[in-house]
Amino acid sequence: MTTSAILQAINGTSLAALLFLVASGFTVTFGLMRVVNMAYGAYYLLGGYVGLSIMQATGSFALAVVGGGAAVTVFGYLVDRFLIQHIGQNHLAQVLLTVGIAFVVGDVALKIWGGDSLKVPVPVSLRGAMELPGGMIYPTFRFLLIFFGAAIAGTLWLLYTRTQIGAVVRAGVDDREQVSATGINVDRLFVMVSALASFLAGMAGVVGGAFLTLYPGAEWEILIVALVVVIVGGLGSLGGAMIGALVVGLLDAYGRWLLPEFSYFVLFGPMAVLLLFRPQGIAGREA
Amino acid sequence: MRGARLALAAAVVVAAAALPFVAGPFWMGLVTQMIVFGLLALSVDLLLGHAGLFSICHGSFFAVAAYTTAILHVRHGAPTLLAAPAGLLAGTLLGLVFGLAVRTRGVYFILITIAFGYVVWGVAHRWSSFTGGDNGVTNVPFPAVAGMRVESHTEYYYLALGVAALCALGYRVLIRSPFGLALRGIKGSESRMRTLGFDSNRHLYAAFVLSAALASLAGVLYVYYNRFVNPVAASFPVSVEAALMAIVGGSGTIVGPFIGSAIILGLRNWVSSFFELYAAIMGIVFIAAVLWVPEGLVGLAARVRGRAARA
Repeated sequence: MTTSAILQAINGTSLAALLFLVASGFTVTFGLMRVVNMAYGAYYLLGGYVGLSIMQATGSFALAVVGGGAAVTVFGYLVDRFLIQHIGQNHLAQVLLTVGIAFVVGDVALKIWGGDSLKVPVPVSLRGAMELPGGMIYPTFRFLLIFFGAAIAGTLWLLYTRTQIGAVVRAGVDDREQVSATGINVDRLFVMVSALASFLAGMAGVVGGAFLTLYPGAEWEILIVALVVVIVGGLGSLGGAMIGALVVGLLDAYGRWLLPEFSYFVLFGPMAVLLLFRPQGIAGREA
Repeated sequence: MRGARLALAAAVVVAAAALPFVAGPFWMGLVTQMIVFGLLALSVDLLLGHAGLFSICHGSFFAVAAYTTAILHVRHGAPTLLAAPAGLLAGTLLGLVFGLAVRTRGVYFILITIAFGYVVWGVAHRWSSFTGGDNGVTNVPFPAVAGMRVESHTEYYYLALGVAALCALGYRVLIRSPFGLALRGIKGSESRMRTLGFDSNRHLYAAFVLSAALASLAGVLYVYYNRFVNPVAASFPVSVEAALMAIVGGSGTIVGPFIGSAIILGLRNWVSSFFELYAAIMGIVFIAAVLWVPEGLVGLAARVRGRAARA
């Protein structure tokens, strides 16, 4: 029982690492430009599939992770430049537009990669299981994912709080007009942040594809859970996304273990309660 | 102008009544489907077009109503007179709960309704001992009340048409009532309505529940037409497509959602008959609607008429 509970904690934390990669991009691009991009799930899936093909062609997992991220960065840039920037601040239009993009990506991916569940092969050195302190056996790749996620989160955090670019982004989240008035090109800043967010989502697809597998529909599942992360953490807050990812990852792991048929309730119930008392999320401010 | 509109309305009624005499069973099925999803789009548009709230969980009320009616019929042999109202009630009760989302606005409202919608989909999908999992509930009979029973898809078409017409009339009364005008006021400027002493949250909550009730009615109509229900009815695409239908047809109008439903479903049927990637085409319709017809076809027609009148 205790062993299972600890195993679920590790499961939840490794899921949290993955969720953070998808949710952090969504939350910061929203904070900066008030853009609701529902295509992040599709970015995740696209990155995963591209990474899978690179892995099959070259056999290098590192190349697959970077390549999946890079492909999505290019795609995300085109979407920002030619579609999202044309429709302004209307959330309804943004949602419909990006849902449309997700439909197109999902369907074309189905045509190219087929409808079966595909798994990105893990490099030999990370395959198999390892023994954790206390004699527990756990898949090596999933365990290392926790450290990977933590490293990315730490890097982003330093970038966000300790560098000049981060300071400008934070200022932009607080008051875009004011930053614009000081002569900083917020649109260009947004393109940079958005490219980073797309890269993270694509990379998450490759990493996630190695243990959650890739299949048609995965784009919506990951998006919805990432949205819950963002709602729980508070829109526009990077720290909130970290806390939210941990809360959601752990709730999901324990929910699947203890109440498999109602795991969605376990995930969304606390969110609904939180909302009643704190609509802006744990770390969010009034929208 | 008024005479022209009446003539148009009369022509539509005659055409609708005469349709089964010229169209085959396939077309009757498709048109019935357009009516059912038109009602769902109308329910979404009560919030979207009149109160300014973009909900993406109406597939939930639709599906819960459909499941309730189907389960009562198939597993418990309940009569239509019990099963259909029970479905309506179940969906509306869920609306009372999900209506809590009106405590939020804007993006939060959108995201929260998406999450709520996913709970229902997840339960339908995972709680297979009760919902039948991905196979859903099958073999739902046609409705029958006190000796009168629907025997064919054509008869069911007339039933659906009648229900939709009654709903449209009721909807017209509702949106012209002081309540409907207050909703419009909240959409236009919530702070001003508050200053005038309107409790905007309470108005929006009432609108949400009414809208859920209408979506539930569409769900009941759907299950009798479709004869089975599975988790797809509660899925995200159903909810978001209902909003798309309202926008394509013309948000804030009554005929708009029905026109949008006819266009979207017609297009899907047509494209899927010769092109494999029809979901991608639907995606392109989403994108095109946002970029080129943000005020919908009804709005586009009004603009063209306005231009013609000025010329």
